[in-house]
Amino acid sequence: MTRFVESTITFPYKRSLGPVTGAFMTALAEKRILGIRNGAAVLVPPMEWDPASGAELAADLVEVGPAGTVESWTWVPVPTEQHPLEKPFAFAFIRLDGASCPLLHAVDAGSPAAVFEGLRVAPRWRGRRVGHITDIQCFVPGETSEVDGPDVESTGQPVELMDYTASVTYSTPVLAMADRAVAATREQRLTGLRCPACERVYFGGDRPYCPVDAVELGPDAEIDLPSTGTLTNFIVVEPVRYPGQTATEPFARVFVLLDDSDVVLTYQPVIDLPVDEIRVGIRVTAGWAPIDAPVDNVSGIGRPLGSLLGWTPSGEPDVNDPDLVNRIY
Amino acid sequence: MTANETPGTSTDLAVVGWAQAAISRRTDQTETQMLMSAITDALTPLGLTRADVDFTCLGSCDYITGQAFSFVANLDAIGAWPPKRDSHVEMDGAWALYEAWLRLHEGDIEIAVVTGSGRSSTGDPSLIYPMEMDPYVLAPLGADLVTFAALQARAVISAGLADERAMAEVAVRSRGTGTVEELLAGEYVREPLRRHDLPPITDGAVAMVLATGDRARQLVERPAYITGFDHRTECHNPAFRRLDDSPSTRIAAREAGLDDRGLNGRGVEVAELQASFTHEELLLRHVLGLGDDVAVNPSGGALRANPIMATGLARIGYAADHVFGGGTRALAHATSGPCLQQNLICVLEGRS
Amino acid sequence: MIPCAVVGVGQTHHKSRRRDVSFGGLVREAVFRALDDARMTMADIDAVVLGKAPDLFEGVMKPELYLSDALGAVGKPMFRVHTAGSVGGTTGLVAASHVRAGKHRTVLAVAFEKQSEGNAQFALGSGRGASLGAGGSFAPFVRAYIQRSGAPEHIGWTVAVKDRLNALKNPYAHLKIEDISIEKVRNSPMMWDPIRYLESCPSSDGACAVVITDADGAQAATAAGRPPAWILGMSSRSEAGSFPGRDPVRPRAGLQCAEDVYQEAGITNPREQIDMAELYVPFSWHEPIWLEAHHLADEGEGWKMIDDGQTEIGGSFPVNCSGGVLSTNPIGASGLLRFAEAANQVRGAAGDHQVDGAQVALAMAYGAQSQYFSMWIVANRLQPFG
Repeated sequence: MTRFVESTITFPYKRSLGPVTGAFMTALAEKRILGIRNGAAVLVPPMEWDPASGAELAADLVEVGPAGTVESWTWVPVPTEQHPLEKPFAFAFIRLDGASCPLLHAVDAGSPAAVFEGLRVAPRWRGRRVGHITDIQCFVPGETSEVDGPDVESTGQPVELMDYTASVTYSTPVLAMADRAVAATREQRLTGLRCPACERVYFGGDRPYCPVDAVELGPDAEIDLPSTGTLTNFIVVEPVRYPGQTATEPFARVFVLLDDSDVVLTYQPVIDLPVDEIRVGIRVTAGWAPIDAPVDNVSGIGRPLGSLLGWTPSGEPDVNDPDLVNRIY
Repeated sequence: MTANETPGTSTDLAVVGWAQAAISRRTDQTETQMLMSAITDALTPLGLTRADVDFTCLGSCDYITGQAFSFVANLDAIGAWPPKRDSHVEMDGAWALYEAWLRLHEGDIEIAVVTGSGRSSTGDPSLIYPMEMDPYVLAPLGADLVTFAALQARAVISAGLADERAMAEVAVRSRGTGTVEELLAGEYVREPLRRHDLPPITDGAVAMVLATGDRARQLVERPAYITGFDHRTECHNPAFRRLDDSPSTRIAAREAGLDDRGLNGRGVEVAELQASFTHEELLLRHVLGLGDDVAVNPSGGALRANPIMATGLARIGYAADHVFGGGTRALAHATSGPCLQQNLICVLEGRS
Repeated sequence: MIPCAVVGVGQTHHKSRRRDVSFGGLVREAVFRALDDARMTMADIDAVVLGKAPDLFEGVMKPELYLSDALGAVGKPMFRVHTAGSVGGTTGLVAASHVRAGKHRTVLAVAFEKQSEGNAQFALGSGRGASLGAGGSFAPFVRAYIQRSGAPEHIGWTVAVKDRLNALKNPYAHLKIEDISIEKVRNSPMMWDPIRYLESCPSSDGACAVVITDADGAQAATAAGRPPAWILGMSSRSEAGSFPGRDPVRPRAGLQCAEDVYQEAGITNPREQIDMAELYVPFSWHEPIWLEAHHLADEGEGWKMIDDGQTEIGGSFPVNCSGGVLSTNPIGASGLLRFAEAANQVRGAAGDHQVDGAQVALAMAYGAQSQYFSMWIVANRLQPFG
């Protein structure tokens, strides 16, 4: 039975709008819709350039709509979390009065039977508008604009930025080989895969192939590895702030050359080793989570593997070998 | 400028082999594993190893994979040690082939491997695809690919190029299952599109081997010579375009040596079109002037298997298969972006 | 192969946040400067190649689709490259390949990053906490270089000062640190031991564009008094990232990439035959690392060139006269900026940071775990070596 790991990539992007889209968004906050003249045509939304040629357009902005005519549409029976309405609605190409091309937006029409080419629609504005395409909550049948809830007048400040939060969740299968490597750590064992062609050994099981020989490594390539080694290199990271950042204090990652092997574990966490005492040549031993403790199954650079939480000094004397520092891989 | 030479006298480049891996609704393999198998399976029948490959170009997409720099791990599949001349496109593998085609035309190297790969099963396309739309006015509405496809389908129907029955017929023919009546009884996903008009979600990888003429003739009996190759784009926002036409396909086809009547008297026998939605096949047939004598998507096309970022390259592979099997001339098409924004045409020919 | 040359170069003013422009406005600022420089319009362009780093940086998937019309690409081939940090360089190479293959006459290469829309550390960590950032990835490489070469720690400070002084001569550069000094660098915070804050690149919004055309176009430019930069050699090389024994300080892909371009350009003694280089140096120690890994200095000797001032403007082998990545880093564009600056040097168009008499220049970009390399050699003549 395949195990899946879920991860969500979400980030609150800040988009700078530039002069033309900025003017469009500023006007939306004021319940006005702007287009831009492109020769005899009026483009909505206004663009900085002619979509056909790329030629720069003079900033000749004109007000259009707010009512318009549905030119084409499709019904959305099951909206996604990103859609403007939570109930079924139509996505429609709406040609606003005075525009030469349609604008895509939502129409709250109740049922698909109520939508047709030629349907007249007008905006339903949000009461509180910020200068965003969703200041128009949707369009509704009829000639008259409406406002959803109390109408909060805009501040009149030019809108230069907009928020955009993208959030996508991925459900990624975990390889059986990777799970076996994690399971071994629960028994306080480290495992790797030995390439039959070049005999190089690769730690863990989440990348079951030899990149040198470009061959897959199967269960018959699995070997046990020692859980002691020597620190070859390290970094100390001064964390910067970003959304989703979990680190607040300087933290270290170290590189460990396992004993009696050619395997270097990269970007490993440390345990009971203060960042200002880290040096090349320290003898280290694996630090394990207590048996049966829940473990983090998300792998990745700089993350522990299963019950292997990190590396801790063994107390043996340092190894003095000037070439150690070169063992990054 | 006209980019292609007279067919048959061009600087010879040919597809000599290709392979697919893990084409399925969902695979447990990593993208790298899929690529490793596909590349090995493409090279081995030719008696080649990775060491024989002079240039590699991979095609994949971070947002399909769900990780920044996702293609870096895929280097492990190409055997980049010693280091390879290499590149990566954030595009379907069909465009990776285009880059390799350019690179081999420079004349100093002979063999390239190109790939396309993706595991679209890991995410939700309806949440991912809005991120490729206009970031100010379309992405924030969650404007998804299927919505735009439906709007294009309506335009294609209005223009008299399709109707819901003809679309269902495309689905039945492509998938080889069901009847038109059964399909037309289904609910709309986005009117006028029903479930059968949409592509499946497919994981998979495709690898293809491209060689210069002399090498190609050493490697296989009947290379699939690339005699025309071009791609073109349109403006982004579908609201600014005529959706009952595909001018970029028309230009690419012309530059690839086909004329507006379609076949330039050259008799394309098979056309593999990256039509992810049923109406796209009908529109493309019309734009390319493909008559009933042309077998369209004998592979089942993107409606049968749609490994995103490899679907277009697979079309070229199936077109090459036609030539490998003794056929004279085949056309492959690949596309990207909402409502066929960007289109690629590749013409493959055999020689007696 | 069709000979080709750079006939137009443009870049934006780079800042940590270009909040005055949209994506389209940003790339078009660079594109129109390049077209003006080439005395061309969008109608003269046959194909467009766009490069940028991960789409997660801005949260726009495959932005070449959105930017097609902004770049004047409608009805033309529009191509998108992504090879990690080397992508800007690869963008130039792929654009040149369009011409060299004889398939397209005049091609526009464009690269951009608008880092302020998101956060690179976030994206590099794929949205998770405790991201190591690029500095965290590279710090161990720097430690290994310092130890094996025996370079004194002031080498890192020296490069940091040199590039920031150069940036003061570049009107487009992002960082303008008027009072930059060894003391200031030495006293800046340790970010990724052994890399200090001022030994690190900034995070920039910016774009770069380059027009590449065939021999006829290049000769026409010459005749019109606007010398082109002939592309004499180009290569991109990649190597697997993680296997026992791999050396990221002297990566074989970097050595081979350099060998490729020297051989193609007819260069047998790069240190003597090349007049200047724009190398991808996001952390100051990468300057000696790349001098050695590109056969410009013997192993263990690169830092001495810096110590002797030879890589300053006016030195025997100037490096990053533009201020380099240390002064300006719109990630996806940083590689193309190197390629563009090298072209401008041999065109005699580098302004206040011009190297006197520069005739042959090397440009280089690299990416991921020092795995992806791209380079070109440009010169003021098609056959500078007789």
